[in-house]
Amino acid sequence: MPETIKWLGSEAPTEVRIEGYQEIKNVKDAPDVEYYVPGHRTCAGCGPALAYRLTALASGKNTIFAGPTGCMYVANTSYLCGPWAVPWIHTQITNGGAVISGIEASYKAMIRKKKYDGEFPNIICFAGDGGSADIGLQALSGCMYRGHDVLFICYDNESYANTGIQTSPMTPYGAHTTFTPPGPVVPEGKKTFPKDLLKMVAAGHPAVKYLATASIAYPVDLMNKVRKALAHKGPTFMHIHAPCPKGWAFESSKTLDIGKLAVDTGMWTLYEIVNGQVKVNYAPRRRKPVAEYVQAQGRFGHLTPEMTERLQAFVDSKLAELGLLVPIPAV
Amino acid sequence: MGKQVRVSGCKAVAEAVKAANVDVIASYPIRPYTGTMVELARMVAEGELDAEFVHAEGEHAQLSVVLGASAAGARVFTGSAGVGVTYAFEVYSPTSGEFHPVQCMIANRTLDPPGDFGSEHTEAMATRDQGWIMGWAASPQEAYDNTLIYYRLGEDPRVMLPQFPCQDGYFVSHISGPVELADPGQVKEFLPEFRPARALDPRRPVIMGPQCHADQGAAIELGRAEAMRNAREIIPQVYDEFARIFGRRYDPFLEEYKTDDAEVVFFGQGAHTVPARLAADRLRAQGLKVGVVQLRFMRPFPTDAVAERLARFKVVGIIENSNSFGSAFDAGPLTAEVHASLYYAENRPQILTFLAGLGGENIRLGAYGEMARAMHAAAQAGRVGDGAGHVGEGAGRVGGGKHVFWLGFEPLGDAGVEHVAASEDGDGGSDGEGGGW
Repeated sequence: MPETIKWLGSEAPTEVRIEGYQEIKNVKDAPDVEYYVPGHRTCAGCGPALAYRLTALASGKNTIFAGPTGCMYVANTSYLCGPWAVPWIHTQITNGGAVISGIEASYKAMIRKKKYDGEFPNIICFAGDGGSADIGLQALSGCMYRGHDVLFICYDNESYANTGIQTSPMTPYGAHTTFTPPGPVVPEGKKTFPKDLLKMVAAGHPAVKYLATASIAYPVDLMNKVRKALAHKGPTFMHIHAPCPKGWAFESSKTLDIGKLAVDTGMWTLYEIVNGQVKVNYAPRRRKPVAEYVQAQGRFGHLTPEMTERLQAFVDSKLAELGLLVPIPAV
Repeated sequence: MGKQVRVSGCKAVAEAVKAANVDVIASYPIRPYTGTMVELARMVAEGELDAEFVHAEGEHAQLSVVLGASAAGARVFTGSAGVGVTYAFEVYSPTSGEFHPVQCMIANRTLDPPGDFGSEHTEAMATRDQGWIMGWAASPQEAYDNTLIYYRLGEDPRVMLPQFPCQDGYFVSHISGPVELADPGQVKEFLPEFRPARALDPRRPVIMGPQCHADQGAAIELGRAEAMRNAREIIPQVYDEFARIFGRRYDPFLEEYKTDDAEVVFFGQGAHTVPARLAADRLRAQGLKVGVVQLRFMRPFPTDAVAERLARFKVVGIIENSNSFGSAFDAGPLTAEVHASLYYAENRPQILTFLAGLGGENIRLGAYGEMARAMHAAAQAGRVGDGAGHVGEGAGRVGGGKHVFWLGFEPLGDAGVEHVAASEDGDGGSDGEGGGW
């Protein structure tokens, strides 16, 4: 097989080259025309809203967004208005992948049949973790499998947040949600470990040649990945870590700090898979213990040291797959 | 004059979709509609039709794909049957609520249970309140014509609603009949290119389907209600145009057969109205003045036409091919809508309902004779509201008399058939094959 997925061990990172990709060198070099503008009512410190803003900055004017039900539908479109300066369509929480498939098929047909004389647009589904990894998984898989020229983004705030913080398949072990309240019978709250969504998409969908994780705490990296994904012809997938002050119980001024801490502790990793080759984008030299991340958020407030150890062990095993299992320095 | 062919209802629809130059098609297999998609896949593969053919991963995705494609400005087609129709249910209201005039054919099939391959209207009827145009074809030619007519109607700027052109599974979908295919020139004149006033176009940004609050919701609902009312007003004009261009004239709402002097009529939609016509011919030879009224649109329901035109008959016998458990009269939606439409009419016919063809069972020709005799007996006995019309063992039923019958399970003698039938031709006719011919 010419293109197998290799989970990075000791191999050197692959150079990413995608035709037509315009790299943003640094924050100052970022475009200054906004397509996700003020006028919504997301919470103070909202990670997903920042992810949206950065994505729209990178994708630019010739873009269509589809928004499955979730925070980025409810909080953005209340009162029949919305913050987008590009076309946006609501989809059900179930069917974001299918709706963008139809939009893409429409543009292919209309351009071929000379019913549309504009350029083929960037088509992006911006779905929450429920609309991607849970109830939206079937439509996501169908879309990625069929090879549509679209970008599917999962903005991951690790819960069903707009309904009042309920567990999703992306909620970490040990988190307190309103469906996983800790108590004498269930002391850890959330008992299961999350799905590995990027791996699922990468392993099972041969048409997908570009996938990336990103974090709102690394905005230039995020925007460049959006651009690479859009420059690539065919289905692409991004999984963006988007901390949620309300759901995770931290101060709304700390969103970026929590995002960075996730990467520093290995709770989140930044990497790409291009043509089956894994490239880790950021590897902290001195890894911080998961306990530090846990202690910074109210949702983990009930965890015992033993539970935190279980979480640490899970993180270690994931990092080992990526070749990132560097020692944690003694405190 | 277009080309004459002999094809099934499924193939007829595929021919019409090709004639309509559809841009995006979303497929998923389920009997008995699959034949349409098989034919469309062939047409696309062989270059007869230039369209994107998307293999959706289920019916929910089929409807979602065509919603997205329609929102982006394409003319779209999909289809389903049976449990596939109910699986996609979530997507129906957003499609009509955001005014995407997609077309989804339904070739009817029973739900589970019984889960067999037979035709029953229940699955389509379950969607009747979702803001979609809906009606039945009784033949492959009607199926062909309905596809073109529904696109024209649904894409009208005053309507912009999605459509369910239905055809009975097997009875229409799998039985060949003569179909006159349209000339490209005719289609071009009847069905202009789809140019929605707003689409997902980065050159002219729009927001579609934003959430609103309760006090904004009613206005949005009213918009959809008005679109459906507009459709009812426009339908006669569309049929006039169709007759002018294609030379086939249908009654836009109620197709009548031998009703001029009829005392009793069968009332139904789709395939079962075809043997009803044959039955009417034979029963007339025996002196029973029987006619047939075929309903063309379930949505919008032609309330005025039903009230005005059914008022001339003594008895209307509804062939109810769908169930609505626990509904008014313990029958189906057609029964409830016909009764409701006639409530304000000055002259109301007596209404009998025959739950017939459920589970896809064939309604035998003899059974039409039984039903006609039951109607005839009820006509002689009196009218609803007189008290005299309620014969038999129906005590306690809403309306006072028994007027809903499960064909094949209950003696129709409750409607007075026994003594009348016996006195006329000596045939009780209520136990199966009877009917006297």
